[in-house]
Amino acid sequence: MTITRHPPTGRGLVAVWLVLAVGLGSLLLVAGVAEGPLDDADQARQRPGVLDLAPLPVPAAPVTDSVPLSGRPAVVFFTSSERLDGLCAAVRAGELDADVAIVTPAAGPTCGTAAMVADPAGRLAATYQLRQPDGGGPPVGYAVVDAQRRVRYATLDPTTAEHLFEVRTMLAAL
Amino acid sequence: MTDQPSYRRRVSDTAAALRLCLWCLLAVAVEIALFLSYRGHDSRFHWFTHFFVGASAALLIMAVVAWRRRRPVRYPLIWPILGHLIAMFPDILFAQGIAHQRWMDVFLGHLNTHFMPGRNLTWYLVFLATLGFYLAVLGRIRRPLPAAALGAR
Repeated sequence: MTITRHPPTGRGLVAVWLVLAVGLGSLLLVAGVAEGPLDDADQARQRPGVLDLAPLPVPAAPVTDSVPLSGRPAVVFFTSSERLDGLCAAVRAGELDADVAIVTPAAGPTCGTAAMVADPAGRLAATYQLRQPDGGGPPVGYAVVDAQRRVRYATLDPTTAEHLFEVRTMLAAL
Repeated sequence: MTDQPSYRRRVSDTAAALRLCLWCLLAVAVEIALFLSYRGHDSRFHWFTHFFVGASAALLIMAVVAWRRRRPVRYPLIWPILGHLIAMFPDILFAQGIAHQRWMDVFLGHLNTHFMPGRNLTWYLVFLATLGFYLAVLGRIRRPLPAAALGAR
């Protein structure tokens, strides 16, 4: 198929360019507006899907006495009190092949075998290289730690509970 | 009384326009499907990057092919979709549980294109430039070339 049976006119070509410029520009604008306060201001660094994105890897600080342990991968989730229930349900159902710790700004209820830690000042998140959300406040996301206790992946992700398979994918890549 | 040649031409134009609309709708449907396929990534950001990069690469090739053949490329909406599919291929693998690796930049810079200064806005401008280039080539080849350009002595 060619565009038309007759040669395209100059005005027709300009119209095609303008329609695509306005249409795709509008979609790009809408996508930017749709970003939430918990998203990364630099979207290239949110859920990049690749290990060791600079400045990683870095040594993983102890979250508890048992997470992370040498010889075992670990996932450290950072979440808010409001999101804790959803994340906990997903982690219980997700059967991650790793030790799990959940860090919240305030002390929360237990969540199965996951270690629960309160970090009101956000020091752990900074140590694990989680970036500040666009809207400020404590970061919501997770970090993946390898068996040598190095942080290999860290990302903001306000919707982790909805796609925990992504965490499994990053664990499998270690 | 009906002007038969003019009437037939109008019918032919309408049929061509309808055919083009159907192809456009199909292309839009494919792109919506690709957008929805981003279960493993944030589609709002990744879809745009790979669409702009893949379509821009396709438009450059289309411009060269059109210029050499002196006519528009066939199936013009398929090329950008193919370019998009190549650029986003590692994301299809990601949805199957295979994480990204550095070598996946062979797919039109799948990883590094995200870190272009200006991010998607820059790729949007690149896309508009390559689209303009291709359309300019179309505008140029519909005019007859001067005899010298055709190698006449």
